[in-house]
Amino acid sequence: MLKRVLRTLITGFTLVFTAMSFAGNSPTDDVRTSVDAVLAILDNEQLNYEDKRTQISGIVKERFDFRAMSQRTLATNWNKTTDEEKEKFVDLFSQLIENSYVGKIESYTNERVDYPGEKVSGRKAVVETLIITSSADIPVDYRLYQKGDKWLVYDVIIEGVSLISNYRSSYQEIMKKEGFDGLLAKMRAKIDELDSTPS
Amino acid sequence: MIKKLLLAWLIFILPQTVLGTESRRGFIETYEDQSDSVQELAPPVLEEMESGGTDEETEPYMDDDDLSFLDEEDEVIEVYDPFETFNRGMFWFNDKAYFYVMKPVAKGWRWLAPEPLRIGIRNFFSNLRAPIRFVNAALQGKFRDAGNELTRFGVNSTLGIGGLYDPAKAHFGIERKIEDTGQTLAHYGVGPGPYLVLPFLGPSNFRDGIGLLGDFYFSLVPVLFENRYYWIAISGDIINFLSIDKDTYEGIKKDSLDPYLFMRDAYGQYRLNLIIH
Repeated sequence: MLKRVLRTLITGFTLVFTAMSFAGNSPTDDVRTSVDAVLAILDNEQLNYEDKRTQISGIVKERFDFRAMSQRTLATNWNKTTDEEKEKFVDLFSQLIENSYVGKIESYTNERVDYPGEKVSGRKAVVETLIITSSADIPVDYRLYQKGDKWLVYDVIIEGVSLISNYRSSYQEIMKKEGFDGLLAKMRAKIDELDSTPS
Repeated sequence: MIKKLLLAWLIFILPQTVLGTESRRGFIETYEDQSDSVQELAPPVLEEMESGGTDEETEPYMDDDDLSFLDEEDEVIEVYDPFETFNRGMFWFNDKAYFYVMKPVAKGWRWLAPEPLRIGIRNFFSNLRAPIRFVNAALQGKFRDAGNELTRFGVNSTLGIGGLYDPAKAHFGIERKIEDTGQTLAHYGVGPGPYLVLPFLGPSNFRDGIGLLGDFYFSLVPVLFENRYYWIAISGDIINFLSIDKDTYEGIKKDSLDPYLFMRDAYGQYRLNLIIH
């Protein structure tokens, strides 16, 4: 009897908590939290450039699933690489993506961001955002998937151009000519170049 | 004739130049089947996930490598680029023209003229091209969009003082929708053909290049500005556009391992997105 009550209770709790975690954040909530945090940092005049970068980087790392992005960029080549190679690629690729995304966001300081809509289907979602600037409205859509109670970004689409598809086609082309090691070397060179010329 | 063609290219590709690159395969091709995978979340995956049943609900975490359910929008645009050597040469030329001529002039103009004026000028030229959008929306059977363009043209030419302002958007919420002859051709099944980098204008392809002829025909810019004034107007429009742009090309160059590949793919995606909407 006690066992049954306990079991019912546990099942009940499990169900409730599962439901709560699912109802917790909509994908738009999650994107908005991150975007707002980034904008707040950009607008914070007390921070210098380095601090801003570091803080934004932290937020981006929380929200972007760089491993999923890497996997999708390498596509069929992903399974052909060793774990060590994967590790290297993910590390370099996250630095490049982060740099590129933050660079783009930075150029839109002091602008408003609208959230015209979202599409959720199962564990995947698209959150539409619109960066409203004085000269143009730029549509930026985030593709997310649910991992636990969090929605993680696995692609960003700016004016209809998917970043990941773009990287994939470029990287495949480079790999065709220079192989996987050639690609890694190019990525490393690019990161060095970015590091040596700030802003 | 060649002159006019070039001119037409000037107007239309430029706004896209800064953004991207295009396109693939043969000439005859429809986009219908791709539209789903590009923008929509395909239903089969949903079913797959639901059939996972209770396990999935109690264990919402997934294996690190099990992201295959994301794959169905894996739509890689393969740009057909048989003239890559030529195109890369032209890309190099445009890069120099951009950094040594166009951008410095645009920066001077940016320094000289306040942004609202520059936006006004951009709106003015955009308004003169409204007939292109109207005709091409209508030709594709998008009568609602065509109607919107007509309304926008009427409102902005009058209340917007000859198109300097955009009250149609600001007060009536009617947005501009980019439609051009290249998109109309695509709508009727014409594929992009070989990728082409045009001098000064950047990314294009055979279809969109031909489309520019149609655009030129419907634009009011050559009606208002004739002969050499047309060149002046067009160059001014481009420089003015670059003065407003937030250094998009510089960003692309800085970020990508190979800017040529970035632009080529981005143009393809950008055009495809315009075509299916």
